[in-house]
Amino acid sequence: MSGLLSVVTAVVAIALVKATPLAYAGLGGVISENAGVVNISLEGMMVGGAFTAVLASYYTGNLFLAVCAAAVAGGLMALALAYFAVTLKADQIIVGMALNVLGIGGAAYLLSAVFGQPGASPQVRSFGSLSHASSGDLSALFTNPSANLLFWLAIALIAAVHVVLYRTKVGVHLRAVGEEPRAAATAGIDVARVRYAATIIGGMLAALGGAYLSIGEVNLYSDGMVQGRGFIALAAVIFGKWTPLGTAGACLFFGFFSSLQIVLQRTNVPAQLFEMLPYVLTIIAICGFIGRSRPPAADGIPYEA
Amino acid sequence: MPEPIRRFASSLVAIALALGAAAVIMLAFHANPLAAYGALLSGALGTRQGFAETLVQMTAFLFAGLGVALAFRAGLFNIGAEGQLTVGALATAVVAAGLHLPRPIELPLCLLAGALAGGAWAAIAGLLRARFGASEVITTIMLNYIAFLGANYLVSGPLQGNVAAPETALISPTAMLAPIVPETRLTAAFPLAIVIALALAWWLRRTVAGYELRAVGRSERAARYAGIDVRRTIVQAMAMSGGLAGLAGATEVLGLFHRFNVQLSPGYGFTSIAVALIGGSDPLGVIFSSFFFGLMQNGALSMQALAGVPKDLVSIVEGLVILFVAANWLGGRLRLRGTASVIAPGSDELPAQGAAAR
Repeated sequence: MSGLLSVVTAVVAIALVKATPLAYAGLGGVISENAGVVNISLEGMMVGGAFTAVLASYYTGNLFLAVCAAAVAGGLMALALAYFAVTLKADQIIVGMALNVLGIGGAAYLLSAVFGQPGASPQVRSFGSLSHASSGDLSALFTNPSANLLFWLAIALIAAVHVVLYRTKVGVHLRAVGEEPRAAATAGIDVARVRYAATIIGGMLAALGGAYLSIGEVNLYSDGMVQGRGFIALAAVIFGKWTPLGTAGACLFFGFFSSLQIVLQRTNVPAQLFEMLPYVLTIIAICGFIGRSRPPAADGIPYEA
Repeated sequence: MPEPIRRFASSLVAIALALGAAAVIMLAFHANPLAAYGALLSGALGTRQGFAETLVQMTAFLFAGLGVALAFRAGLFNIGAEGQLTVGALATAVVAAGLHLPRPIELPLCLLAGALAGGAWAAIAGLLRARFGASEVITTIMLNYIAFLGANYLVSGPLQGNVAAPETALISPTAMLAPIVPETRLTAAFPLAIVIALALAWWLRRTVAGYELRAVGRSERAARYAGIDVRRTIVQAMAMSGGLAGLAGATEVLGLFHRFNVQLSPGYGFTSIAVALIGGSDPLGVIFSSFFFGLMQNGALSMQALAGVPKDLVSIVEGLVILFVAANWLGGRLRLRGTASVIAPGSDELPAQGAAAR
């Protein structure tokens, strides 16, 4: 009985740890897409955040500064997205692809150029204690809140984004810009400004998800550590129907499956089949088989004043 | 300015700006950009072996780039070339290892297997787009990961042909493409890719099917009023696009690796999006842009070895080139795709089932 209980708590602990970085990036996607800017460069921004956090921690040894630096890096990448997508009205998917390539390639380049070692950075100061939870110790998440700051911050952000999006004037403006930019502009809302702000905040959140991976779960940056999580987050946005709570739920669901896969490693179930599940489910969801999965009406379309 | 010339100029401007910006980055890290680009060029073009290897890299970019370009012309964004390449390579490796037929029969069959597998994988996205209005951007991203994970599972389980590594068995000798230039890795895959590019250019311009594909790319609605079967055209375009990416994988297996392994492609399929963009989504333009990317990919190694600049610099150049092409500073028509919404097209273009599914 206690054996079963420990397996259950381990699954829950790992699921929470695995879902958190997805939730950051997913929330980032929710915010920008609700304002009408598609961000398929969540992956690149997570990479940028993960690398920058390590860089800042390496030079300052200060975790607060490291988290801030990651957010700034993500915000700058998102500023580029906003400039090309909103101001130049460029194709958002193409710009997103470019930022993914730049984020991943840039981190790899800087790894060699700054640390002189390709592949992985040196070890840096990190939050560290998430490693207990990620090896299955649920209580580790609760005993030391400051060490698990990035975990609790994510929980708070999910609630905050929900409240802002659906209970405040700012949220109404943001969604109006994503649904009916022309009507929003007529009502006196500055469409471009809202889209810039939403995109930049979204990028900052995605970068925090990256920082969580590099200085939360472990204590270094290595090439390929984000490993498609930005795209799973994108999947979670669709699966969660472009809402913060739905997206967080989807992240938890996906996290649960990667957790099961880790716990079931010793059995004969192939891990890859578990890992495939988010992607398969997203295809099913976007075809309309799991309720209505409808993006904001003006998502991805530049606004021509 | 005539459209093709303007587009060519715009690609050259994007490349020049990207190389310039990358030079500034190198200067910031106390590297000498001239030495770096010099090493890159001499490595990629300076010797017979180096030049042949540039063409080897170009071949994969050309096949996959043609695929992405063709989809663009139909108004479709195929981000799934990497997955289609993977599926195509795996199918080719399995067929080539299993068959022991005379070369003139075996080789075409193996190429066909790769093209069909890649085409079928992409056709899934085409069908979902045509039937449910599901964005091919999203479905091809998801299908990529399903392909990677599925291939990974198969070569470390049911299809593992080598106890020491996650890869398939060696293909039969009659399926191997031999080098056409001694002491290099350049095979007949290169001339084949060029011939296919020329054929595709002709097909797009001179056949009814090619015209229909372009018409759908310009405007689905207008194409439908003209009596074109838009859904069929979409599925067909995706299948052809994936088939070309599959050929990239097939020729990697038959000519270079002689088996499938998960590290077969250094991202040819992903980079082929940039290849198609720089090539103006035109098969003839893609011949030039794939040469450029082959040169960068191959030269990066000498740049790293001789000038001490990390080879990842070429990824930065690549990202900047895509960004600058997207910015479309020279104006004109960059609308590669229809006006349909990016995430769930069908919003305005495929109303019947599309709207219902949304």
